[in-house]
Amino acid sequence: MFDKIWASHQIAELPGDVSLLYIDRHLIHDLEAGPDLARLARDGRRVRRPDLTFATPDHAVASVPGRVTDTNPTGGRLLREMRRRCADAGIRLFDLGQSGQGIVHVIGPELGMTHPGMLIVCADSHTCTHGGMGALAFGVGASEATHVLATQTIRQQRPRTMRIRFEGRRSSAVTAKDMVLHAIGRLGVAAGRGHAVEWAGAAVAALSVEERLTLCNMSIEMGAKIGMVAPDDTTYQYLAGRPMAPSGRLFDLAVAAWRTLPSDPGASFDAEHVLDLTDLVPQITWGTNPEQVVDVTGRVPDPAAEHDPARRAAMEAALNYMGLQPGQEMQGLAVDWVFIGSCANSRLSDLREAADIVRGRHVAPGVHAWIVPGSVDVKRAAEAEGLDDVFRSAGFDWREPGCSMCLAANGEVVGPGQRSVSTSNRNFVGRQGPGARTHLASPALAAAAAVTGVITDARRLRETTP
Amino acid sequence: MNPITTVSGIGVAVPRANIDTDVLIRINRLIEHSPDELGEYLFESWRCLPDGQPDPAFPLNQQRYEGAVVLVAGENFGCGSSREHAVWALASFGFRVVIAPSFGDIFRQNSFQNGLLTIALAADEVARIVAELEGSGQPTMTVDLVGQVVTTPSGRIVAFEIDAERRRALLDGLDDIGVTLTYAAQIDAFERVDLQRRPWNFRTTYEERAMQLLILPGDGVGGEVMEGVKRVLQWLRECRGLDVDVHEEPFGMAAWRAHGTLMTDETWQRIQTADAILFGAIGSPEYAQIPAEQRRVDWLLEMRRSLDLYENLRPVRAIDALLDASTLRPEVVLGVDMVIVRELAGGVYFGQPRGVETLPDGTRRAVNTIVYTTHEVERIARSAFELARTRQGRVCSVDKANVLEFGAFWRETVQAIGDSEYPDVEVSHMYVDNCAMQLVRDPRQFDVIVTENLFGDILSDCAAMVTGSLGMLPSASRGPVRSDGLRAALYEPVHGSAPDIAGQGIANPLAAILSLAMCLRYTLDRVNDAVLVEQAVERAIVAGARTRDLAQPGGTFLSTSEMTDRVIAELHP
Repeated sequence: MFDKIWASHQIAELPGDVSLLYIDRHLIHDLEAGPDLARLARDGRRVRRPDLTFATPDHAVASVPGRVTDTNPTGGRLLREMRRRCADAGIRLFDLGQSGQGIVHVIGPELGMTHPGMLIVCADSHTCTHGGMGALAFGVGASEATHVLATQTIRQQRPRTMRIRFEGRRSSAVTAKDMVLHAIGRLGVAAGRGHAVEWAGAAVAALSVEERLTLCNMSIEMGAKIGMVAPDDTTYQYLAGRPMAPSGRLFDLAVAAWRTLPSDPGASFDAEHVLDLTDLVPQITWGTNPEQVVDVTGRVPDPAAEHDPARRAAMEAALNYMGLQPGQEMQGLAVDWVFIGSCANSRLSDLREAADIVRGRHVAPGVHAWIVPGSVDVKRAAEAEGLDDVFRSAGFDWREPGCSMCLAANGEVVGPGQRSVSTSNRNFVGRQGPGARTHLASPALAAAAAVTGVITDARRLRETTP
Repeated sequence: MNPITTVSGIGVAVPRANIDTDVLIRINRLIEHSPDELGEYLFESWRCLPDGQPDPAFPLNQQRYEGAVVLVAGENFGCGSSREHAVWALASFGFRVVIAPSFGDIFRQNSFQNGLLTIALAADEVARIVAELEGSGQPTMTVDLVGQVVTTPSGRIVAFEIDAERRRALLDGLDDIGVTLTYAAQIDAFERVDLQRRPWNFRTTYEERAMQLLILPGDGVGGEVMEGVKRVLQWLRECRGLDVDVHEEPFGMAAWRAHGTLMTDETWQRIQTADAILFGAIGSPEYAQIPAEQRRVDWLLEMRRSLDLYENLRPVRAIDALLDASTLRPEVVLGVDMVIVRELAGGVYFGQPRGVETLPDGTRRAVNTIVYTTHEVERIARSAFELARTRQGRVCSVDKANVLEFGAFWRETVQAIGDSEYPDVEVSHMYVDNCAMQLVRDPRQFDVIVTENLFGDILSDCAAMVTGSLGMLPSASRGPVRSDGLRAALYEPVHGSAPDIAGQGIANPLAAILSLAMCLRYTLDRVNDAVLVEQAVERAIVAGARTRDLAQPGGTFLSTSEMTDRVIAELHP
């Protein structure tokens, strides 16, 4: 599948095994759009395809209800520059409060902007999310993004290919987030480096599109800047009727072409891994990178058991930063913050998953619990089915769409030394704020932590009615 | 980008695996600081203790490694976020080279874009270099990109691999964009083929109808200037692939001559359904020949009314080469760039009661009424605020609040919309008499002016003279959003029919051509084409092309069609 999409976008082969590739969609956001467009203008260059470029503010905008442009002043400055420059260039901007605004990787699939077989880039490493639709999508830096604005192309060296197959039946309590955390824990944060990963196997084919997006979202946490799932009827049904998806005869033509994308039965990959889902239980990270993960029912590992000295040192540093002791049980750790949101887990199905735990319960005393829907449309859909009432009456903050506390670029931070259970994708040192201690988990686990005040296996709450 | 050949100096080891870009540079720093200031915050969370003091145990804080240019680190260096700021932070700290067993893919790609050399060496080799750096000797080393070797602190020579093209680009300090643009023809060809192969991929697909443009040349010089517009349109279709359906209907006296009526049903139907109308001008002494009952309707006003064209945009921008044409001093005019947003569908021009009556004592009495509703003021205010957001972010609302009740109401309503919906836009208020004065005293102070219909009519003519020639001023009038997501729009030059020079072929077509540029920008969503046209006009002017209205008295000047020739000659695909 990777090879087919790569080949269909190759404009020229450049020296040094580099391909010049055509970009079908370029997504830009508040953190990079203004400065990149400014750089382009400074060099006297124009946006080649404003019609294939789409903008939305997500990284640095406040998520507080009733927010306006300047609620976060630095974000406001970036947003105003993005507005002006997008208008100058003729780039469609999904602005605050408008349908379509949200986290770039949520709105792309949701609006039907992302199609199978597309080549998509964005100056954000989680662009691999779009691979859940069967697109070839990856994050780029500021210079490459500016290159795409000017030329609608990118120069890339072809990565190697890797297939990761999930086998076995997963229990109903195991989410796509648990699957990907498990994969990273098993294979390590560098396993996918230099590779385009195809997530495969019957368990992946059985996932909904939103679950596939969660799975692909964290490919980069395994080092792979590209992660993808073969498109199938689930994908086409998801796309049909979305605002920017093709319709009518054009949709039929597109589906016929998309059906040729999946890897052929005998396709070979440079690397292959198989992971068994049988017996997998919900996962949660204990350390400061996503491979430092354990079963929620498990204990903090002991660095003494690690042979590699560098790895041992990293574990010791992580334990120190996280304020944990080897052998300590994960369950029962007191939590200060719960953040449900981010491009990993902020879609309608994620909010439903959390609401199922929260319904009839209340946020534990002393816990700040936030719901930040991934987009204006997710928020509206959730409100239409009353999820906002479930969360609000339980004591959650029901907030405005954006990246918010996933990377704390908008000033919304977890305090130093405070412990957070977060549905986001990175538990790096200082990620949610200087000194913040982040545990990554699924929406169900995050919701369970919110209502109990401690890290809790959500399955226990499902078994008991509140 | 600075070329890189040989780097010699202090090396420092941070031998941890999976150093992520969040640790290299924290998000709030990259938002608040420029790329060259980021070095100060490199590794912030490791360099500083919780109390903010430098951690003496961290190598970068140790005097031994001061001025380091080579960083040696553990595997998977630069994993995580795509932020190029991580590279900029390393560079502004002073690092030119990073050596590690492996690198995050996006980080490595970013490093090449900025002349930061990343060298991957085997893990055991990296470990040896770390040991040498941390050992008792001087932590100095040399990296030679030409010979592709590292000289370690102990003097060992270690070869490294780097892609030949990447090496060349680093040695030469090449800019990727410039190189890629040499492939423009291949990119064009790819797009043409791809449009056929995957039509669903593009937002403008073949199932979408082409935009409908209606040309109404009208009276006086309208027909002459619209010839220029048609030729530019033709060029855009041939050279820029502009896909529009263009239809032309006679309007005004031309309609009368062709059909014996000023408005046929067919023309009226096309006016109602067009996506944009390119209008020439209306007004001619010949109307006197037409029976009065046929002349009752002013069809331009009728179009505005039926399409609800409430938003009239009049950009006024000084062109340096035409500063002499203004009656104002050049230093007053230089740099003027404003848009007057005039409410076009309400106010005294439409208010009831109106008319002239004779009172019982024989005195005659004339009445017109200024009427505005909240909705009418709010929507034009939003137009102005939205526009300001795309410009300098300043709206000046003009009224007569000190005398007229409607003025106070206008001011209050505009302010309320600004406060509640556009807190990022600066709003100020000015009395109309003062505004007229300020327009000729210091026109540069304005970004967007929003005002009601009558004031807008007067002020926009006043502002027009700032640039010297009415022949340069375009305008757009737009209605509310229709069910298909578009807005009815009429684009016309401000100058009108100019009966005194009609038929001589000397009218200035630039206002009409610039009105087409506004149509490209606002209706057709073809900003790049709009910019092409605007730049071609400006280049023609800079090159000395002048119609009579722009020429020095007694000087030579171009005809309407010669001026169009000059603009088309300046258009480059």
